[in-house]
Amino acid sequence: MAETKRPREPFAPWDRRALPGLFDVEETAKRVGHYKWVELKLFEALGGWVATVPELDVKLRLGTHCYHHAWHAELFDKRLPELREMKTDRLTVAANDHMVAFIDAMTEPEGPDMTIEKLVGVYRVLIPHKIAAYTYHRNGTSEITDMPTVRILDFILQDEFNDWREGEMLIQSMIESDEEIDRAMVHQTKLEKLMLAAGGIAGPGSIGDPYIDLPEEN
Amino acid sequence: MRKIFPAEELARDARFIRQTNEQRLGDPRGARVAGGNSGDRLAKLTPELANGPDRARALMHGIFVGEIQALEGAGRTCWDFEVGEDVPLALKLDMARQCWDEARHCEISVSLAEHMGTELGEFAENGLLYEAACNPDPVLRLTGVNRALEGLAIDVFNTMKEFGNLAGDPVLEFCEDWMLADEVTHVKMGSDWLRRLTENDKERLDKALEFQKIVDRLFSFNGFRGEDDDSPIQLTRRFRELAGFSDDEIDEIADMSRDARVEAAS
Amino acid sequence: MTQVSVAPESFEMVFYDAAVIGEVVAEVAERLGLEETIKLEIDEGSPLGRSKVTSYDPIELWVDGGALENTKRPRQFGTARTKDTVGRLLLRILDRRSGRFDDTPADDDLDLMQFAAWDVHCVGRLERLGIGGQRQRRLYQFRNRHGFTDLADSAFEKLWESSELSWTEIERISEGCRIS
Repeated sequence: MAETKRPREPFAPWDRRALPGLFDVEETAKRVGHYKWVELKLFEALGGWVATVPELDVKLRLGTHCYHHAWHAELFDKRLPELREMKTDRLTVAANDHMVAFIDAMTEPEGPDMTIEKLVGVYRVLIPHKIAAYTYHRNGTSEITDMPTVRILDFILQDEFNDWREGEMLIQSMIESDEEIDRAMVHQTKLEKLMLAAGGIAGPGSIGDPYIDLPEEN
Repeated sequence: MRKIFPAEELARDARFIRQTNEQRLGDPRGARVAGGNSGDRLAKLTPELANGPDRARALMHGIFVGEIQALEGAGRTCWDFEVGEDVPLALKLDMARQCWDEARHCEISVSLAEHMGTELGEFAENGLLYEAACNPDPVLRLTGVNRALEGLAIDVFNTMKEFGNLAGDPVLEFCEDWMLADEVTHVKMGSDWLRRLTENDKERLDKALEFQKIVDRLFSFNGFRGEDDDSPIQLTRRFRELAGFSDDEIDEIADMSRDARVEAAS
Repeated sequence: MTQVSVAPESFEMVFYDAAVIGEVVAEVAERLGLEETIKLEIDEGSPLGRSKVTSYDPIELWVDGGALENTKRPRQFGTARTKDTVGRLLLRILDRRSGRFDDTPADDDLDLMQFAAWDVHCVGRLERLGIGGQRQRRLYQFRNRHGFTDLADSAFEKLWESSELSWTEIERISEGCRIS
């Protein structure tokens, strides 16, 4: 007969989750609001671009990915009230004006001959920066107090990695000349500079700060 | 990227040839419809017809390009309107979901085209469906697309599903059944949003329903979609009810089709 | 030398040119080794794709305008479609004249399965001659008449790949699917 009264630790030996995290409730809500804004802008753009790209496979991928990011926006939207933000629109904002400028520049290409630019903006710039910020948040927040956000980010990151891979492969399949490489790089550079100015999708500190401040020498 | 993207600029590769509405309606032989021609009294689409398989092929290609345009239309609704100012976030989320569904329908249609021996772009494309998706009022756009056109899609998919069943074609029947399930969901989305967005705005509701009728009429060439036994495309009462259509609304569409048939015959 | 007469000589509802149609029909006939007069009557008012042999000797054909149409560009003439339509009709004529099809029922008495089986045999040969093709389209039509089964697909292969089947053999292959 099993011994039902024998005490066990509340955390199993292999469960090393720690209580402290990098973000308090307020900071988490702020970041989640920025994430939601970015997801919103991304799914809107992907939806809008569907009609403008002549390549059938790209058209269908954009339509599919459009929903992925809408779902991410919905998940973040549902998380905000749980973080004491009942007026979710209040925090659904860009991290700063540079981020607005980035989205404006990313969504600018429209012509049917600009599929490379459209894809580069999303899959070589924005999504890698999202993956970075979400990973930083996922690894830095408390896996106990903020587990709902961790769970959301885990689902989202799975989508992001898959979408990034598909998008990158579409780009590679579309680039057939030196001139097209140049086009891709020029657009990427332009957008990377805007993203640098923004400090990442959630503003400065999107992926933390790896540098150490040295004390002044005597 | 602009708001409201014109139908004539829809991006396609070299395989696809667009037929303008003027060309289509100016065809003295009658406009092409349901894999046949509205100038003739088309028989109900069944495999027993000598040209049944070829009509099904042509109709399937029409469905395919319709799915592309439905994808483009839903995508544009995600882009053209601002959350809060124009539409609630939930409406856009529904449209994004519809994008994914329509993208899958395109994939299914491409596979079915291959199954039926149709090359992509083998038949001319008409942009009428997307044009209905350009209405600047989101309520009218959703009503025209999700209730009128997706409603028609319910009827078409059910007819094609029956065609597959009668022909003993398990691939066609299976695919159409899945697409039909999605279309009922899309029509229900349209019905729900129409109700929610016009709850306190009778004038807008009336305008939206009038626009729906206009779109329904545009796609009722000679009443090819109806409840008569010999209607080429059968009006599907059961699924329309599931999608939020009232009996009166379904009766109205049936009457519209019957009138169009009588008018065409006279 | 093949002589082709096309009626009508000019078209009101479609943008066809009788001379061009005559050239395409003559080209197909010559590829098939037919050097005689061919009369082709077109119902330009019908966009459907029906076609038939109205007389085997002399050769007289009747088609819907749609059977010669470029489906990508409605009302425009389609060379490939015309070759496919006319090629099938002319091969049927050659088959009936070959002695291998003496016991074939009259066209009006053929059922949809028989027509589908004969069409497959015709189009398979046309494809090898570089005229027409659309193998998957023909397979789909054949499956609609003979079933979506491995047996039907195997029958299709035989009909498509064979070069000189007799009517008895075509019927036997078609019947084989019917029994299943």
